[in-house]
Amino acid sequence: MTGGHRRILVVEDDPETAGQLVEQLATSGYEVDLATCGNEALSRGSAAEYAVITIDRMLPDIDGLAVMRRLRDDGIAAPFLIISALGEVDDRVRGLRAGGDDYLVKPFSFIELLARLEALGRRSDTVAKETILRVGDLAIDLIARTASRRGKDIDLLPKEFQLLEYLVRNEGRVVSRAMLLQHVWDLHFDPSTNIIDVYVGRLRRKVDDQQAYPLIHTIRGIGYCLRAPG
Amino acid sequence: MLLAKTLRSSTFKLALIAIGTFGVIVSAIFGYVYLSTSAYIRSRSDRAIMAEYMDLRGVYEQSGREGLIALIRQRTADKAFAGHVYILYDPSSAVLAANLREWPPTATAPSGWTEFRAPGASPEGGGSPLVRGMINTFPSGDRLLVGQDISDLDRFAGEIKTAVISGVLLIFVLAGVASILVTRRTVGRIEQINATSRAIMASGLDKRIPLRGTHDEWDRVAENLNLMLDRIETLMGEVKQGSDNLAHDLRTPLTRMRGRLEKAYHGQGFDEDAQALIGDTIADLDAVLRIFTSITRIAQIETQVRKQAFRTVNLVEIAHEVVELYDAAAEQNGSCLTMVGNGEVLATGDRDLIFDAIANLVDNAIKHGRVGGKVVVASETVNGNPVISITDDGPGIPADQHEQVFKRFYRLEQSRYTPGNGLGLSLVAAVARLHGARIEMLDHSPGLQFKLWFAAPGN
Repeated sequence: MTGGHRRILVVEDDPETAGQLVEQLATSGYEVDLATCGNEALSRGSAAEYAVITIDRMLPDIDGLAVMRRLRDDGIAAPFLIISALGEVDDRVRGLRAGGDDYLVKPFSFIELLARLEALGRRSDTVAKETILRVGDLAIDLIARTASRRGKDIDLLPKEFQLLEYLVRNEGRVVSRAMLLQHVWDLHFDPSTNIIDVYVGRLRRKVDDQQAYPLIHTIRGIGYCLRAPG
Repeated sequence: MLLAKTLRSSTFKLALIAIGTFGVIVSAIFGYVYLSTSAYIRSRSDRAIMAEYMDLRGVYEQSGREGLIALIRQRTADKAFAGHVYILYDPSSAVLAANLREWPPTATAPSGWTEFRAPGASPEGGGSPLVRGMINTFPSGDRLLVGQDISDLDRFAGEIKTAVISGVLLIFVLAGVASILVTRRTVGRIEQINATSRAIMASGLDKRIPLRGTHDEWDRVAENLNLMLDRIETLMGEVKQGSDNLAHDLRTPLTRMRGRLEKAYHGQGFDEDAQALIGDTIADLDAVLRIFTSITRIAQIETQVRKQAFRTVNLVEIAHEVVELYDAAAEQNGSCLTMVGNGEVLATGDRDLIFDAIANLVDNAIKHGRVGGKVVVASETVNGNPVISITDDGPGIPADQHEQVFKRFYRLEQSRYTPGNGLGLSLVAAVARLHGARIEMLDHSPGLQFKLWFAAPGN
């Protein structure tokens, strides 16, 4: 990935949260610009090319959604990650409808933010044309909706296949439980149980049991990552 | 509909009691008038008959049989005595003098009062007039009957009776109609208030009871209720504003706090023990946040704003997705989660919220049901109403706690140590209220069945 693709604009008015974000994103290898109000976000957003723009909904001067809309109107194509203290689902839906690409509720875990940034940043550059995706000795057929390891078919339920497909498409990246709920089950809330873990646990048994090496890895405190060794 | 309500209403029942009491009194008065009138008439005619009889007996006793025969002949010829009836028989039942064809067969007593129908006795010649008479058997064996046509009196008494009965009936009918009209008006106004209350419960505090502008007591009640609703709406608005601000103001420091903890957790400055402590603190902070989010979520659902985003959803599809999601959890618990019903059960609502409600109920059924038990989710249309039911075969919930479990943070003694925060069923209740759905809890011995009755789509 080129340098330009690792450049992120953070729009956040709370100085301490902004500081933490900038510091941690920088540690994770991102080049970070900060805007502390709507007007600054407008001028910075249109001045440079960003991989992702994170935007707080409540800004001192202009509403975050309005900033986003104006930047979109100016032809800014960068994906927006809305970060809001208004946690409710219809705020979320409103944010996504206004042109946001993803939504995160304060307070969030930094790894969750990082996982979502990764997913957003790469979304634009992976256009999968293949109908068979491979990770290590795992192959999934997107047309026949079947999966196999070393040529041996894995018996999957439709939802399990969708889950595996999402993990494969995000190969090597950490995906959070909330992201799985959102993309596999189309649920925009947290059922506040360990239901996802149980579900992934079963998928993992089907995919990884009695294999040369495991593919699905648990990432503590956040979610999962599918990757082949080496 | 309104008629049925009218008939059931307490005003109408009161009116019925009043009509009943009044009717008994009126009937008693009219009955007394009728009885005393007819007794008076009868006693007058009896006196007249008795006087005539005494006359005739006097003649018999003074002038003997011949004198009486002469007198009877004279009397029957006299127009002034029209309507009088006389028969004198000798002991061998031969007619000595009479203006009747024969001795009335019903008058068998040797003496005393008698009443009979006498064909042809009427001076007008029509019908068989009613005759009342006095019979006497003289010591010689001659029998005398002196009577009078009392048809007119009888007819008069009959007319009084008819008048009295129709009067009472008319009073009953008028009172009945009046009470229905009054009750209808009352029920109509109360029904307006009820309809508004139902609308408020179903869709929010923006409805008001319509006033008629008559400034009567009903308008006053409506005005006061409306004022009360205004006040509640204002207070609710303030509470919502307050909790919105609170939610927002809390989130900023919590975000900083979580950020710091996370930085410390991923930093190098701590040993393993300290890092474990920080990790646990983050987990607890997240648990607090989840409760916080659940409460604001329930509060937000209760503002009914999400009703605007309602659309037609297929309950079978949603239930199926929930079952799919919880399938693995049930398997882990050793229980069997199945779905009954297919095709379409359409309802109007919010897919995410319905999903959440069903998910909570299924989660409860798996967690609190029997280990290795059965959980069945079913969806069907019953009498036009979409229904979802979740049934387990666990220990159930004691009947006296059925209402309580919907309260926030309420937990049954038996489940105090299973994970959960006591908000799940509050959320289910809030979602049901938002959808105007009815929750039914049934003892399934063994086990518990939750039923969500949705409103028929399009209503």
